[in-house]
Amino acid sequence: MNFFLEPLTLLTFFPLLGVLALLFLKPEWRSAHRWTALVTSLITFGLSLWVLDQFNAASGDLQLISRRPWISVAGWDIQYYLAVDGLSILLVLLTTFLMPLSILSTWTAVEERVKDFMIFFLLLEVGMTGVFLAQDLFLFYIFWEFTLIPMYFLIGIWGGARRIYAAVKFFLYTMAGSVLMLLAILWLGVYQGTFSLPGLIDRGGIPGDIQMWLFLAFAAAFAIKVPMWPLHSWLPDAHVEAPTSGSVILAGVLLKMGAYGFLRFNLPLFPEASVRAAPWVAALAVVGILYGAIVSFAQKDVKKLVAYSSVSHLGFVMLGLFALNPQGIQGGILQMVNHGISTGALFLLVGMIYERRHTRDLEAFGGLWKVMPLYGTLTLIVALSSMGLPGLNGFVGEFTILLGAFGSQAIGSYWFAGLAAVGVILAAVYMLTMFQKMFLGPVDKDENKKLLDLNWREILILVPLLVFIFWIGLYPKPFFDLMAPAVEKLLVGF
Amino acid sequence: MLFDYMAIAVFVFFSTAIAVTAILLGGLFGPRRKSEVKSEPYESGMIPIGPGTRRMPVRFYLVAVLFILFDIEVVFFLPWAVSFRKLGLFGLIEMFIFIGILLVGYFYAWKKGALEWE
Amino acid sequence: MTTPVKLLDFITILPVIFLAAWACLLLLVDLWVKHKRVTAYLAALGLAIGLGLLWYQAAWIGNAGFNHMVVLDGFSVFVNALLLLSGLLGIALAYGYLRRMGIERGEFYPLVLFSLSGMMLMAQAADLIVVFLSLEFLSIPLYVLTAFAYPKAASEEAGLKYFLLGAFAGGFVVYGIALVYGAAATTALDGIIAAVAEGRANLSLLVSGAALILVGLGFKVAIVPFHMWTPDAYQGAPSAVTAFMSSAAKLAGFAALVRIFALAFSSLSDDLIPILWGLSALTMLVGNLLAIPQTNIKRMLAYSSIAHAGYILMAFTAFGNPGVAEVSIAAVLFYLAAYTVTNYGAWGVVILLERAGDLGLEIGGYAGLGRKYPALAACMTIFMLSLIGLPPTLGLVGKFYLFRAVIAADLIPLAVIGVLTSLISAWYYLRVVVNMYMRTGDPEISPEPWALTITGLMAILTVLVSLLPGWLFFLASQARLNLF
Repeated sequence: MNFFLEPLTLLTFFPLLGVLALLFLKPEWRSAHRWTALVTSLITFGLSLWVLDQFNAASGDLQLISRRPWISVAGWDIQYYLAVDGLSILLVLLTTFLMPLSILSTWTAVEERVKDFMIFFLLLEVGMTGVFLAQDLFLFYIFWEFTLIPMYFLIGIWGGARRIYAAVKFFLYTMAGSVLMLLAILWLGVYQGTFSLPGLIDRGGIPGDIQMWLFLAFAAAFAIKVPMWPLHSWLPDAHVEAPTSGSVILAGVLLKMGAYGFLRFNLPLFPEASVRAAPWVAALAVVGILYGAIVSFAQKDVKKLVAYSSVSHLGFVMLGLFALNPQGIQGGILQMVNHGISTGALFLLVGMIYERRHTRDLEAFGGLWKVMPLYGTLTLIVALSSMGLPGLNGFVGEFTILLGAFGSQAIGSYWFAGLAAVGVILAAVYMLTMFQKMFLGPVDKDENKKLLDLNWREILILVPLLVFIFWIGLYPKPFFDLMAPAVEKLLVGF
Repeated sequence: MLFDYMAIAVFVFFSTAIAVTAILLGGLFGPRRKSEVKSEPYESGMIPIGPGTRRMPVRFYLVAVLFILFDIEVVFFLPWAVSFRKLGLFGLIEMFIFIGILLVGYFYAWKKGALEWE
Repeated sequence: MTTPVKLLDFITILPVIFLAAWACLLLLVDLWVKHKRVTAYLAALGLAIGLGLLWYQAAWIGNAGFNHMVVLDGFSVFVNALLLLSGLLGIALAYGYLRRMGIERGEFYPLVLFSLSGMMLMAQAADLIVVFLSLEFLSIPLYVLTAFAYPKAASEEAGLKYFLLGAFAGGFVVYGIALVYGAAATTALDGIIAAVAEGRANLSLLVSGAALILVGLGFKVAIVPFHMWTPDAYQGAPSAVTAFMSSAAKLAGFAALVRIFALAFSSLSDDLIPILWGLSALTMLVGNLLAIPQTNIKRMLAYSSIAHAGYILMAFTAFGNPGVAEVSIAAVLFYLAAYTVTNYGAWGVVILLERAGDLGLEIGGYAGLGRKYPALAACMTIFMLSLIGLPPTLGLVGKFYLFRAVIAADLIPLAVIGVLTSLISAWYYLRVVVNMYMRTGDPEISPEPWALTITGLMAILTVLVSLLPGWLFFLASQARLNLF
């Protein structure tokens, strides 16, 4: 029993209790399903706060370790090994924080097969939390691949018109990368003798050219998930077809898993290869930033616009991580959180208007500011945060990343940071264009005249996100404090 | 090593050659006289009636299969009988088991009606 | 040097003898039994007693019997236990299915038992003659079982096809054995080892013999390019037979392959590894690629079973590397166990959905299963995920083990082919899932208690054992090959 009461184990697997409860509820009791899921995710969030409370921010080590030998026969050394440190604590919190909000957003959006929806949603939470906490490569792989399955169902069952295509594409793309990672994991396990990440880092000593191959194999999985240009083509399809809550989780958490993977595995396991690859990754990241921004600008579909903006924003994250200096990595981590909050909020906002109008075409809107002033205000704030206005969260992350990239030895050129800065301007262009097309000008469509402004539930969803947008924007120190020691420890190897 | 097999090769060659030569010579030099009797299917027998490929009741096949089955197995008795003294009691028991297995098949076939004509 | 027969000789193959005798008796008893379900229960009872005897027999591990014609080692006990369990599962699936399809004939059960005793003998065979004997012993009942749905033309055709190609394959095995005998002047596995060690054997002849045996056994386990019979036989045979055939025959075939090659021909590995490499790569590619266009679930699973033979062969490719051989064999055994569990589950679902007259076998017919029968659809999803090799299922753990052996043997390109083909496989396995959950339809199942139980049980096992696989890892790694 003790095992299940260890904080991280409890946190990871608590949503399974909700799943269990849901299994016993009749399919017709839809609001019971919603409430069960909501309460489960809220308790999980509470548990993550409890974990935060026990977390010692001054230390850069792995903490709150839950560790058991799992498969240790016949030359295997696989452990059940969960732990948290400064690199992952914020992402875990982000996950548990976005879950209840996403569930709230489905309250009226998902009417069909609510029970199944909630089961998949809670299973997804287990997988995501596990990915951020696992410190054993086998365990990590299991969680990593497991997240695919519920997300596949979420897109495939509750998605838009081309949902099956999008779901299968999402599945095959992500799996293509993961299977290569599986081989790299096995190589490490066979030739380094253990699957535990700290054990592997301590051991080190992988020859340079093999490091490069392993780096590439891991990068294949993570780069597709991030997604880095040119491996991003699954993302717009998945985002556009996914239900709103799915998009929120996809953008808010699933993409972070890719960037987190680079941070957690590629950098410490393959330091030499990381240094060698840094300029190339940075180049791809910058291409992604610019490409994402330009393509966003051309979109007619609001959701697609936000999806491509993710490609651009995640480019920043990757640029920061591969600056391989404290500013870059801290900025990268913070930007992951920022992107989760801002883009999550954007998807929620798009979902709210979609529920009212059943279209996402930019041309179908116009002058909404007059009809829905509250909705307009909130969208403006989120859009400004997403494009990096000083005083809001986006600015802090992007600025730190640019700072890191300018001073980075690993990247080795100012050009990357310079071009990335252009991306910030482009972000302002497409975000403001979107805002203008939706909210300004005359209300020239009849359907738009009778739209209702946000209701209480919707406000309740958005307010927590806005709180963080301002908090991180105005006073980011507590967030940086959480990760600083761990980042420092990570960079010792370089 | 292959040279060891030379004798066989020589043997095969000559045996084939003699047969082929005999047929060829007969075909080349033999006289051909056609007559009514010679063109009959059976030169020495009765004149066949009806088509050559007649339909046979499928029961014949069943009987044939059963016959082969039990007949071939009886063949096993012979080597056993020859070395009966050497095999001793163990051999006797083994043969009883063998017959027992045969009997299972026999009873099965009997009960299933494979031995009935209709 | 021959020694007289002792009691111990009989103990080494006790379950085989018992099962064969039980099958004979059952054949007779069935003649007077009116309700064929009695025969089914008696057959199951026989298998259960067989398991008990296996347990009893395990105390004698480390003995060879009948002048080293058969051995009793950890490997054979592991395989035989799996075979017996697989027989039980096969009977459970067939129980309601045969009656529903109107082919409830009592011979089914003795035939299954006969075939199983052949398979078990195969796992213990330590002499090529016994290998051939048991190969025929297991195959002939399977040919009959394949044609069991007579007078259905498809089933008869499948049986005939399987018989002709199987006999053909048997010819290869015999020819291979003859060549091996020519090379080593013996058919005993330990004799071959000794002949090679003392330099008496003609190696080029031995390699040709080994290659021919590989071809013959390759037919049995459906390795490309010897797979042509598989889709037709699997599709034409009654589903319950296919379930049994695809699990148990594969088990036995691989057991013989592993024993012969890892023991007798391990010194030939330099010559054989390129062949095995090519065959396994080809099998994985062809099996998975040809599965994609299939619309019939039985045919799709047939190609999937070909592909899985490729994965197993992939791990086995490293058999000659002494540092890896043990891992490689354990991986093969573990995967066979995992595949058996998953495969029976998947066929259970197929059987539940099949209706007389070959209806309900189109993958499109699975549309809407997720809504109408959520539990069954969840089970099928688990099986499909397991066949792809995704967590949390046995398929992933099994593949993990397989790929470990391949990587440890430093055959990285083969491993890459392996993972990329499993990516391809995701495409067609997911189609079943897409149909069940994302399209609408109104499928009908026949609620047979046994088939339902087995399907559910297999789904639970697939997930549970994947989370706690330690004990099965342990057993597989302890299942050592030996000749004594």
